Amino acid sequence: MKQHPLCTDCENPITPLDLPIPAGLKRQWAAVETRRRFLGRSGKVLGWAALAGLFSEMRLRSYASGADVTSPASATGNALGLPHFAPKAKRAIYLFMSGGPPQMDLFDYKPNLAAQFNKDMPDSVRGNQQLTGMTAGQAHFPVAPSHWPFGQHGQTGTWVSSLLPYTARMIDDLTIIKTVNTDAINHEPAIMLMNTGNMNTGKPCLGAWLAYGLGSMNDNLPTFIVLQTKTNPKENNQPVSSGLWSSGFLSSEYAGVGLRSGADPVLYLADPAGVDRDVRRQMLDTVEQINRQTLADVGDPETNARIAQYEMAFRMQSSVPELTDLSKEPQSTWDLYGPDAKQPGTFAYNCLLARRMAERGVRFTQIYKRGWDVHGDVVGVLPTLCRETDQGAYALVTDLKRRGLLDDTLVIWAGEFGRTVYSQGGLSEENYGRDHHPRCFTTWMAGGGVRPGIAYGETDDYSYNIVKDPVHVRDFNATILHCLGIDHSRFTYRFQGLDQKLTSPVPAHVVDGLLA
Amino acid sequence: MIAVDKLTVAIRSLHNRTISPLWRFTLAASALLLLLPFTFRLDGQSHADWLQFLGSFHPLLVHLPIGMLVLLPILELAGRNRVALRESAAFVLYLTLATGVITLALGILLAYGGGQTGTTVMRHMWGAIVLLVELLVCINARPAWISGEHQRIYPALLAVTLLTLTWTAHQGGSLTHGSDYLTRFMPGPLKQFFRSATRASDAAYVGSVYALNIHPIFDAKCVACHGAHKEKGGLRLDFYDLLIKGGKDGAVFVPRNPDQSLLVQRVTLSLNDKHFMPAEGRTPLTADETATLRAWILAGASPTAASVPGIRTPTKNTQIPLQPVGDYSSLMNDIREMQQSEGAKLVAVSAKPSDGLILRTIDVASKFDDAQLARFERFAPFIVEAELGRTVVTDACFDTLSKFKNLRALHLEGTQVTGQALAKLSSLSQLTYLNLSGTKVTSSRLAPLKTIPNLRHLYLFETPAGLESPLLRKGVTNSQ
Repeated sequence: MKQHPLCTDCENPITPLDLPIPAGLKRQWAAVETRRRFLGRSGKVLGWAALAGLFSEMRLRSYASGADVTSPASATGNALGLPHFAPKAKRAIYLFMSGGPPQMDLFDYKPNLAAQFNKDMPDSVRGNQQLTGMTAGQAHFPVAPSHWPFGQHGQTGTWVSSLLPYTARMIDDLTIIKTVNTDAINHEPAIMLMNTGNMNTGKPCLGAWLAYGLGSMNDNLPTFIVLQTKTNPKENNQPVSSGLWSSGFLSSEYAGVGLRSGADPVLYLADPAGVDRDVRRQMLDTVEQINRQTLADVGDPETNARIAQYEMAFRMQSSVPELTDLSKEPQSTWDLYGPDAKQPGTFAYNCLLARRMAERGVRFTQIYKRGWDVHGDVVGVLPTLCRETDQGAYALVTDLKRRGLLDDTLVIWAGEFGRTVYSQGGLSEENYGRDHHPRCFTTWMAGGGVRPGIAYGETDDYSYNIVKDPVHVRDFNATILHCLGIDHSRFTYRFQGLDQKLTSPVPAHVVDGLLA
Repeated sequence: MIAVDKLTVAIRSLHNRTISPLWRFTLAASALLLLLPFTFRLDGQSHADWLQFLGSFHPLLVHLPIGMLVLLPILELAGRNRVALRESAAFVLYLTLATGVITLALGILLAYGGGQTGTTVMRHMWGAIVLLVELLVCINARPAWISGEHQRIYPALLAVTLLTLTWTAHQGGSLTHGSDYLTRFMPGPLKQFFRSATRASDAAYVGSVYALNIHPIFDAKCVACHGAHKEKGGLRLDFYDLLIKGGKDGAVFVPRNPDQSLLVQRVTLSLNDKHFMPAEGRTPLTADETATLRAWILAGASPTAASVPGIRTPTKNTQIPLQPVGDYSSLMNDIREMQQSEGAKLVAVSAKPSDGLILRTIDVASKFDDAQLARFERFAPFIVEAELGRTVVTDACFDTLSKFKNLRALHLEGTQVTGQALAKLSSLSQLTYLNLSGTKVTSSRLAPLKTIPNLRHLYLFETPAGLESPLLRKGVTNSQ
């Protein structure tokens, strides 16, 4: 039936039934039309039903979070189906060198630089690298070779600076990565990226992801503990904020618990006079009842986190004094960690605490050491920094190893970026400064899951660009997760419409060359 | 001139010809078919059951279009003598397409619903899609063949379609019956014949100098141009079999004669030589790598040799493959009950039940004794790691532990054990890690440990065993 050219009502086209034709014919037409329509439509309906089924399921799934509650592992405690595979490491200890250690003064040996002293670094090497405001105005970029000699150590003959005599002793146990690179050139975004996989504040950090994904190994201590090292006022200390151990959009119970760096790691730990354990317990029970009521009324999951944290605090009243009581440590401990370890708040003391936490089932410990931001007076400051950290790091790895803990503990040593080969400010025979450098920096790992005794990746003659095997921060984090049995690409949490992960939406890869 | 005229006429006629509705339909339908896999991405997760239910009719229906498609050339050929057969061929062709589309839809439901994914599934699906597109084109080309306008196009298309069918069907067969379903029961000589034709593989050379030292060099420096993606000079270096075959210029190396070997010559030319390899300014081989290659060729270039003079094989510690334990899922209720009554936990090593369980006592260590341990005996086959550090177990614990046949790691640090009954552990063939630090174990009691075949890591820190602090690892008790 052709439509009249002037008829614009497409919704209700003229049908034969509207035409002035005999009623018998109309009935006949209606009968035919109905059957055809019925069959045709029923077919279509089935098709659409199938399609709708597929689509609605996709939509539903996209709203659900990543948790797969039906996995068999859920019954033994892990509702997320983690670890994805049998892990090499159960726990990790992260020694964070805040400020950006100069890689060419510690690990990235560049013997050819001596001949380049005070010559300008070629522009071709610098390329289009953005500079910080601190050196962007410099007319010259004079090459500053390392002030300290390097030596070959261990069976592997790895080059290490004379500043790190203790690290040199354990060099065969380390997996050195010379080609870590980052996107940021300033401290805050760089340290955020390193810890949370994102330059902006607000995302969960590595430790919070691990606490969320793997859960606790013990009832009495937090899953994720942060230790800060007392600052040395002679060093250039960049701020370290609690955003670095925040749980971001994950529940607050996964945030890192910071212990103070003084003699009293947790304030008001003891019950006040007149309050015994039973009274304290009763008080907490009542508080919990009130909180449960609030939870029922408001439905904020953070209330759950609050309840859990009160309980943890109660148990920590007895577990923390035991943890920090070093009186039973044998003399061999003090020989290993050095005299610093007797003073609460030093790096060596924190390393010793980290070992004790590893023994007591703390999943993730992060120790911050600030002061590596050596813009000037490298020759004056760097030896102090190395002296403060070298023996502690060595003692930690060695202690874990002799106690049989290194097999399933991953130790990580890293800063947020590297430093430039050219001097910031004046270069003299005696001294120089180094600016921030994001294109390459050196980190190391040791223990469960990584291949000992290797130096991974190569940088160019100026330790400025990577020539072989780059490891982006995201790849670095993906590799850490892999050692702990987690496939970073499947470890997601739905927030703000995205399947968020530690390795951020940009593709990341586990670095196979680092794995044992 | 005439040719040019003809060409312009042809172009003009092409220009004037409007696209027929049939072609338009074909294009639209093909585009839809090709879009299908992107719409329903096979993401490896299972979906609604009823999708799978419908999908399970795929294997049933699939043989219908196959049969008809095979029938098609027979009808066309036989139609030379009997016109009726040729006429029915057109009908069969349409029917093939119709049933084919339904089959594809069911197949996708099956794969999508059942969470199937992987190369073979993808190949099977893409094969089917291409097959349907080809059928559409056949339908378009057939009238011209019937009218005698184009004699060759339709038969050629039909042949291609049949080849696609064979390949796709083979993928489907591999899915249902396993990838070796054709060769599994093949008579010996025939198998031998086909083996040479099958894809090259280096699987047989695991652990050899070739696999550990030589192949990585090729892999890093050469395979970008001489591999599966590019085959410059007809040479591939990604598999040993292809390596010995050589390229356009013949064999690339002469066993026992590195200087005569083309491969060594080309990588050691001067950088400016136009025959220098790797070409195009890629990273040259290092002196070490060249030396390794020479040493290997000098020793005969064997793919299996496990040691070659002058080459140090990387000491990557050979991992003992984890022995899968049984599935404990059925014991889940018991496991939960145990935890509530004892406080000690059985924790899954990973999401895979076959990775086993860890016995974790840390929260109840001060109360966990031999009797408590004995109660975990019925989970013995599933426990791969026992964390008994700082518990109050004694030497009696070895009676129970000897029944933990799948135990890989045993922590007894800081316990009262004296090592008196260590011999009972010798039945634990999977045990690789034993921590006795901080116990009263003496060196004389360690002898039985020699009989544990896989023990690699033994820790005796702060014990009277006399092996003081530093690190007793590897080899000490390794009987090999």
